[in-house]
Amino acid sequence: MRIWILVSDTSSNMKNDHSPPAPHPSRGETPLPGTVPPLERNPDADVIHTPLEAAIGEGDLRAAEDGAVVKGSSLWQDAWRRLLKNKLAVIGMIVVGVIILASLLGPFAIRKATGVTPEYIPGDAALLKSFPPFTSPDGSFSWKHPMGTDTQGRDLLARVLQGGQISLMVGIISTLVSLLIGVSYGAVAGYIGGRVDDWMMRLVDVLYSLPYIIIVIVLLAMFRSQTPRGQLILLFIALGSVSWLTMARIVRGQVLSLKNQEFVLAARATGVSTPRIIFRHIVPNALGPVIVYATLTIPTVMLSEAFLSFLGIGVQPPLASWGSLATEGIANIGIFPWQLIFPGITMALTLFSLNFLGDGLRDALDPQMRKF
Amino acid sequence: MLRFIIRRLLVTIPTILVVITITWGLIRLAPGNFYTGEKRLPPAIEKNIREKYGLDKPWHEQYGRTMWGMVRHLDFGTSLKYEGQSVNAIIARSLPVSATVGILAYLLALLVGITFGSIAALKQNSRWDYGSMALAMLGISVPNFVLGPILVLLFSLSLYWLPPSRWNGFPSKNLILPVLTLSAIYMAYIARLTRAGMLEVLRSDYIRTARSKGLSERHVVVRHALRGGLMPVVSFTGPALAFLLTGTVVVERLFALPGLGNYFIQASLNRDEPLILGIVAFIAIMLLTMNLLVDIAYAYLDPRIRY
Repeated sequence: MRIWILVSDTSSNMKNDHSPPAPHPSRGETPLPGTVPPLERNPDADVIHTPLEAAIGEGDLRAAEDGAVVKGSSLWQDAWRRLLKNKLAVIGMIVVGVIILASLLGPFAIRKATGVTPEYIPGDAALLKSFPPFTSPDGSFSWKHPMGTDTQGRDLLARVLQGGQISLMVGIISTLVSLLIGVSYGAVAGYIGGRVDDWMMRLVDVLYSLPYIIIVIVLLAMFRSQTPRGQLILLFIALGSVSWLTMARIVRGQVLSLKNQEFVLAARATGVSTPRIIFRHIVPNALGPVIVYATLTIPTVMLSEAFLSFLGIGVQPPLASWGSLATEGIANIGIFPWQLIFPGITMALTLFSLNFLGDGLRDALDPQMRKF
Repeated sequence: MLRFIIRRLLVTIPTILVVITITWGLIRLAPGNFYTGEKRLPPAIEKNIREKYGLDKPWHEQYGRTMWGMVRHLDFGTSLKYEGQSVNAIIARSLPVSATVGILAYLLALLVGITFGSIAALKQNSRWDYGSMALAMLGISVPNFVLGPILVLLFSLSLYWLPPSRWNGFPSKNLILPVLTLSAIYMAYIARLTRAGMLEVLRSDYIRTARSKGLSERHVVVRHALRGGLMPVVSFTGPALAFLLTGTVVVERLFALPGLGNYFIQASLNRDEPLILGIVAFIAIMLLTMNLLVDIAYAYLDPRIRY
């Protein structure tokens, strides 16, 4: 029996694609740009085990079709190409990149340019107050403080950029913690299966229904004010350990569909140990949805961090995050609105861009997960 | 159905006890206690207080006493900070405030979210669609403690239309800003969920059937599509309640409302153990019961689901 495979553009909605396999085009025909010709693959095999999207990138097909040696494009390259077509996602990516770079380099650049550090409190008592953006102490226009100064006369731009370091760090590290827990948990549950899987997933169901934010508040409030650094580590652990549940479910689902495939069987037949199969053979193949969900977890975690900082149990001074800077600004909203508006807008812009980037990545990496 | 409810109850009740136990454990594991403050109490007074509240007993006895009081009499004891006030009285007093703001915000979010979500789905890829989805993304990305003060700055401190804070009973102008602040993020989520759900339903066969029967577009949308398209919104109600909780904490602090969330944060910062435990237990019970009700409603609305 011959197997014909119709490869549709994976970014289109696959559910509505019920057209029958197209006949094989004549060998000499060159495929139209942008369309993928149907492929005759392994004509002697009766069954194909590997799902198409996972196994074959578009470039591979064309190479096989023409019989020529063309550099094959991997799934990742295809995904990257699809991502670049999504304007909003590209803008999101650029904005996030700019904000990360500015947060990392900005404080140094400002010190080079104006000699002001984020912690610098002017010695002159006349400067110990909050100046509006682009204003010098005598009220005239000046480039020295583009975002104004805070109540102690510190440069707000430098503080916002340095706050970005903390906010992004909390977002990224907590997401990594949740990745570590979620991926291991989901992979183990999915691979072992049976009763173990039942119990592990039931535990996830129970944890899902817990009002975890209350527990985080109690945890942080109780163990508060050891040291700012200690509080930060506590924050990573607390936020990371409550946001792994969905990740565990996603990974488990992926593993369930991967574990009966031939490459796993081959690994097992050659005597590879179970942990090695899980983490070296299965998990890398489930990476797409994991990356998508991790990208969407970062803004959620950053929002939680800001929320906790607003309550006074998140980032502790002298460290400052966007959340704690905005909180300082709230107290002076009527008089010095820029103290709230600049950190607030920077944060909103970052979360906005991260969300769009996450949505774009989802469309590019995992078209089936896409909600239109 | 009855079996399903009973089975869920069998999971729900231990879960509530676990939440309370974790909270109790956290309070106890943390160094210090309610009486370790800046001002040191004379040892004799501290000893008397510890005896009065049973803090001198071994931990398992204290745990047993706390849990027994809750399970047996639904009694959470007396607040340490607000002397002489029972936890039950504080909850009873602050719940109406939180509930009013929360319910109004949720209703507003449903109204606006479903409307804009449906419009976006019906006019997919139009200006309406992109506009409302961009707004929704904005609603998800702007933290509510940034949005609230900006609204205050605009409507109270610049235009002098609305009062900036304080609780003033149910129908009052004071409620407008808190409710708006709280509902922004739900509006956004509900609009996105409605749009996704509606798009999926609008492509299904039964909608084509309804259209080909010659039903009016209005009838198709309102009677046929909305029912199926709103399923994701129904299942969002559970998580929404959890969100509502964190949201009310922020909004109550921003607008100085004497609600449950405000008391909870104060109690946590004061290490007021009975009050923390009481509010945590109350919230856990409410949340899990609501989750159960949502699941039942889900089964009722979608006949394909069988338990």
